[in-house]
Amino acid sequence: METLMEILKELKPFVDFEKEEHLIDEHILNSLEIMTLVSRIDDEFDVQIPLVEVVPENFQSAKAIHRMIVRVQEEE
Amino acid sequence: MSFHSWLYLPCFLGMAVLLYYCFPLKYRFLPLLLSSMAFYVLCSRKLIVFLAVTIVSVYAAARILDTFNEEFREKKKGLAKEERKQLKKQVERKKKAVLYLAVLLNFGILFVLKYGNFLGENINQALKALHVGGRIPVFQFLLPLGISFYTLQAAGYLLDVSRGKYRADKNFARVALFLSFFPQMVEGPIARYDETGHQVYEGHRFDYETFTSGLQLILWGLVKKVVLADRANMFVNTIFKQYEQYSGIYIVAAAVLYTFQIYTEFSGCMDIVRGSALLFGIQLPENFRQPFAAKTINEFWQRWHMTLGGWLRDYVFYAVSFCGWYQKFSKNCREKWPKFFGGWISAVGALFFVWFGMGLWHGASWKYVLYGMYYFALISIGMLLAPLGEKGMQRAGISPKSAGVQIVGKVRTTALVCVGMLFFRAESFTAGLSMLKSVFRDFSLQPLLEGKLLGLGCDGYDFAILGIGFVVVSLVGAWKERNINVREKISGFPLPFRWGVFYAGLFCVILFGAYGFGYNAADFIYAQF
Repeated sequence: METLMEILKELKPFVDFEKEEHLIDEHILNSLEIMTLVSRIDDEFDVQIPLVEVVPENFQSAKAIHRMIVRVQEEE
Repeated sequence: MSFHSWLYLPCFLGMAVLLYYCFPLKYRFLPLLLSSMAFYVLCSRKLIVFLAVTIVSVYAAARILDTFNEEFREKKKGLAKEERKQLKKQVERKKKAVLYLAVLLNFGILFVLKYGNFLGENINQALKALHVGGRIPVFQFLLPLGISFYTLQAAGYLLDVSRGKYRADKNFARVALFLSFFPQMVEGPIARYDETGHQVYEGHRFDYETFTSGLQLILWGLVKKVVLADRANMFVNTIFKQYEQYSGIYIVAAAVLYTFQIYTEFSGCMDIVRGSALLFGIQLPENFRQPFAAKTINEFWQRWHMTLGGWLRDYVFYAVSFCGWYQKFSKNCREKWPKFFGGWISAVGALFFVWFGMGLWHGASWKYVLYGMYYFALISIGMLLAPLGEKGMQRAGISPKSAGVQIVGKVRTTALVCVGMLFFRAESFTAGLSMLKSVFRDFSLQPLLEGKLLGLGCDGYDFAILGIGFVVVSLVGAWKERNINVREKISGFPLPFRWGVFYAGLFCVILFGAYGFGYNAADFIYAQF
């Protein structure tokens, strides 16, 4: 979770990722930032996020993103 | 058959609805499929063969892709991680072959029919410029109705099945109906299989609330199309047809009114489409969410023609960004360039495909390609300058959520969209450029104050109706932006007022609709795409 928080902070320094629960609905993260985020996750966690996982529900909060990473790691 | 015609609304739609509810619940897909095929034959005659090819090829390819997915799911059980990866690679190779074949076939049909002429002419011009003898033959094909819409819908279904988002449908009638549901055939929306596939097939019981919601939505769409869009079209046509004779405020007024026209027309058509679907109890996805409330161009495209934007995001942007060669390119960018700039280059590279596709989708002309590039440039520059803006505001102690910043963002976005629409509507890119230049050549508010804009297709009466319409459309938009359901709100009013609103809408269409002597009813702009 710490590594993920670092990536998110780097991407959007002024966002409180501990509290935000609607990153997509409130347009805090857009598709370009998701693209960068997924690339960074691939690098840092050595996991390939399949396209089918790139859906709004998986990117609404830091917790949701972390849950997705863990799930994909288990499935790989 | 236009959606605002007498032939469609009371006749065709009325018959289809009647037939639908006459059938037993289990077999209600039959009249719907029959109506969809009849609608297509009435509009495109023999060209239905292209729709048939798409339905059959997509159904078959999806089934094959599904068997590969199942094969992988079965065989991977009990395998070690490395073996699983190897197996996955093998299956992916087989899936790619089937997927590429089906996508190539369907996009090939679209490309030849829609872009073959454009490509041929450009090749011939290039040959002429290079002083090479000979010309390739150029054919002008008839375009099957809705080919740009149903091809994207079909490709989306195939890609989703391939990615394992859901299983391929074994029911041929359901796939056929998903791809040919008649209200969607003219201007979309481009639906996903998991949104509408089962809805169009399963029988819906008659529900008074849903049915009247559908009728109200159709009425609202008609008001927007017939009363507002067709009326604005008269002024817009006058200026754009003889643009050399006008400059300054005339061009600004034409660009603003065209933006209003295309919004009321396209969103009005979507209301008629979604309303028609509701009469059968089917909910289609929304295509507009108050686009002029957007503070940035990026946000505008998340609110305007949302189903096309979503399609390009999921099947072009993400497909390019996450494919192997692009991931390597992105990694190289991030390593070789400063972090922010590297990220920007890699994002902009993937965005190019989206906006090139967006431009080309609108039509086979360089004007549309450059229209796409206009938004590509705006979004790329916006991304580059965003951190500077954020830091500047932070230093100045201005909150990005403050009312001032929001208003400036909305006005700037609307102005940039109006410029884009000017090019979109202009005869050619050079005509658009000439019109834009003429705005700055002799800009003065004098013609507006002296009433010289009157009589150019629209008189004072027309402008008054457009003004009232603008206020009503804006109010409805503002309510929706605050998550207020306008139809629910109206249904909560006392009976006389409620019926008063509906009768007002109906009389508006009858009395103020831009038809009859002196008016030209215009076809839907997006129907040509």
